[in-house]
Amino acid sequence: MRIVVCGVGALGSTAVLFIRNLGAELRVVDFDRVETKNVAAQWFVKQSVGKNKAEAIRLQLANFYGGKAEAMTVKLVDNNAAQLLEGCDLAVDCFDNADSRLVLAEAARAKPVPLVHAALAADGTFGMIRWDERFAPDREDAEGQATCEGGEHLPLIGVVGATLARAIQDFMKSGARDDYFISLSGVMRTS
Amino acid sequence: MTVLNITFQGQSADYKLQIDWNASDADVRRIAVELVRSGGARGLHVAHLRDDAFASFVVDRVRSANGEDRIYLRPKVPFGSAR
Repeated sequence: MRIVVCGVGALGSTAVLFIRNLGAELRVVDFDRVETKNVAAQWFVKQSVGKNKAEAIRLQLANFYGGKAEAMTVKLVDNNAAQLLEGCDLAVDCFDNADSRLVLAEAARAKPVPLVHAALAADGTFGMIRWDERFAPDREDAEGQATCEGGEHLPLIGVVGATLARAIQDFMKSGARDDYFISLSGVMRTS
Repeated sequence: MTVLNITFQGQSADYKLQIDWNASDADVRRIAVELVRSGGARGLHVAHLRDDAFASFVVDRVRSANGEDRIYLRPKVPFGSAR
């Protein structure tokens, strides 16, 4: 099975860490670069600062765990989305904005490729894992709104990333498409 | 019986109440304001909460894996990764 993880910031990078041993081939997509502040809340080390995030994930998997990933260092947009999903059996949406989520969803439905979405509240108080058939993206309250990047929400990011990894594992095992809500009081499977 | 879960100001609380699972989003937000004002939801007590405190919050209706009817009043979740 080949899995493509779209967006490897807080959630995507954490999820990759937890799915690295599932036996799937991994492809990661991100155009952005690792900034110093990202080290606080995302699975990047100081040595990755300045590198493209997808490439940094590939290098960290190789250097720390002997793992492999294919790094796609581009922004997913209308005219390359189908190509980025090519040959994949599962797509994972960890983008940070509704527009990118919609482009990915449209491409995944057209293939079709199963798609699971993961998302966080800006204040680090709520997270969600939802399969595409039950997902509608939330818009930011204001464009460019601060995200969970200071590090103080790392425990919740970890829980959401691990729950996403578990949802992926269950899908690989049995085809299950379970949704989860992650609040400060616990994880609730909702489907 | 429906469980209303409210996530607000760094707290999350469940509250069992008699409410139609299909009650309108506006009704859910209004009931939640009264609950938080009254302190009825554990850990969430703001006596002078504004009427529009939950205006930007999302109402989700789900049936949990154990068959429980749940309504979540939650902040928006736009983010998967930081730009």
